[in-house]
Amino acid sequence: MSTKECAAKRFIYVWEGPVRITHWINFFCIIILSFTGYYIHNPFLSGPISTDVYVMGTIRYVHYLTGIVFAMSLIIRFFWLFVGNYYSSWHSFINPLNKNDRSTFWAYLKYYTLLGRKVPHTLGHNPLALLAYIALFTLFILQVFTGFALWSQANPNGLMYSLTGWIFPLISNQWIRFFHYLVMFLIGGFVINHIYSAVLFDFKTQSGEISSIFSGWKAKKRD
Amino acid sequence: MGIAEKMKCLGVSRRDFLKYCTAVSGTLALSPAFAPKIAEAIESDTRPPVIWLEFQDCAGDTESLLRASAPTAAQLILDHLSVDYHETIMSAAGHQAESAKENTFEKYKGKYICVVEGSIPTGADGAYCTVGGRSAEDILKEVGGNAAFIIAVGTCATYGGLPAAYPNPTDAKSVKELLPNKTVINLPGCPVNVENLTGTIVHYLLFGAPPAMDKFLRPKFAYGKRIHDNCERRAHFDAGQYVEAWGDYGHKQGWCLYKMGCKGPETFHNCPTIRWNEGLSWPVQAGHGCAGCSEPGFWDTMTPLYKRLPNVPGFGVEATATKIGAAVVGISAVVFGAHGIISAIRNRGLVKKVESSEFEDDDK
Ligand code: SF4
Repeated sequence: MSTKECAAKRFIYVWEGPVRITHWINFFCIIILSFTGYYIHNPFLSGPISTDVYVMGTIRYVHYLTGIVFAMSLIIRFFWLFVGNYYSSWHSFINPLNKNDRSTFWAYLKYYTLLGRKVPHTLGHNPLALLAYIALFTLFILQVFTGFALWSQANPNGLMYSLTGWIFPLISNQWIRFFHYLVMFLIGGFVINHIYSAVLFDFKTQSGEISSIFSGWKAKKRD
Repeated sequence: MGIAEKMKCLGVSRRDFLKYCTAVSGTLALSPAFAPKIAEAIESDTRPPVIWLEFQDCAGDTESLLRASAPTAAQLILDHLSVDYHETIMSAAGHQAESAKENTFEKYKGKYICVVEGSIPTGADGAYCTVGGRSAEDILKEVGGNAAFIIAVGTCATYGGLPAAYPNPTDAKSVKELLPNKTVINLPGCPVNVENLTGTIVHYLLFGAPPAMDKFLRPKFAYGKRIHDNCERRAHFDAGQYVEAWGDYGHKQGWCLYKMGCKGPETFHNCPTIRWNEGLSWPVQAGHGCAGCSEPGFWDTMTPLYKRLPNVPGFGVEATATKIGAAVVGISAVVFGAHGIISAIRNRGLVKKVESSEFEDDDK
């Protein structure tokens, strides 16, 4: 039982640089945005004695700045959806009209719901995870949009308000605020799923799922 | 009687009057150089008459209009605008009152200003609110429809207000909803601040046009900034100093009321700058958070008044965003945790299995 074969031979460069970089930028942004955002909702730190400490002011500043970075990271990732390799592009979205795609989808659904034991293997995103990512990025976009809309209210004559303020006659600013806060938890719920699934598939497929988001390489399954 | 004589009768000096005109120019964000022009406009004889309609409301806006303890220039100007019909404050009653309205209506058709206070109930064929045997909707369409323009005062007339709050039993509507093609100036607030009403009218006298308005049809001079951005407690907000309970140390120090549910960050109004009762005070200065009374959807979206965010309907009384959010995270943790345990049990001996299959393959 010696290591007869170097697994690295079967490795394929799946996640290109921009995919990994935006992944980690998003990771840090989500952490910072969640903590600062929660503080803005509920300023839990006890108040300083003097007014020149500027706790809320600083935290809001960090929140806004991180929001801008996050928005730019999303823009880059969306750009990569069109210029990146197969695994990062929209070409890898499952096509419901394609029989093969459908059967992979069902295989994953069965596996996830513990109905099937066979672990399917795909190099890029698995079709079920892909759906989750589409939902997640929709939430990201809404989160960025509502965030900028709420921010823009400080100046209703400004450019930001003219781009985002049209939402307020449709949905009151209180419900926008509510939504912006609630989505933080939805993203939190996703993170649990995301990490768990990555670990699970790392175990089951031995394809270097976890390390791939650092290195970009994933093992191919031999047929 | 001209305004000069009226002033004399009431003991308002010319100086007070001019001072007031300067203040109005400030409210309207005009240069003080406009003060003499404002005085001129008010004194001119071409001033339009006003018909004040009152529907489903609490007369709070009328109270606001009358709240002056001594006759002031502001009150005088409103008087002077010849409010020809105002059920609450006119001395005439019954048919006499109705005929006053009819007269103005016929004589100044298309020229008078119609001020509307209160929402208009449209349920039960308008039976919830009738005046002189006619439904509110009917009267509004006739009197409002033939006005030069309409000023909707108070949150009820502008957005439906309290009567339109869930479940809106009378099917209350705002003025603009019933007269979508009419020029309507919304002056929300519960009640309206009379300074903004006089400001709007003076603007019309001066320029012959309504002031610049935002997408909710509110004049920008009065509703162009959030309370939060002009609040005197804002320094405490930025510093992170909050009132945690009524009467605590922070409350006594005048700290920010954000954690007590202050809706200043959601509300556009000039309360912090012009204040109430002749600039005496306003809610936040008095130690109570802003209730958000002048925002569209007031009541449904601004309650609970002492919480930051609205509760979710249909989940029981205390379904806050935090509880729902925590439940989402909790459920996903439980689901994936259980999945993990089951997978771990299923995967016993995984390493052996993999090794044997992989290396067997290789040996072939
Ligand atoms: S009291 Fe209200 S309006 Fe004033 S700073 Fe605090 S949250 Fe803003």
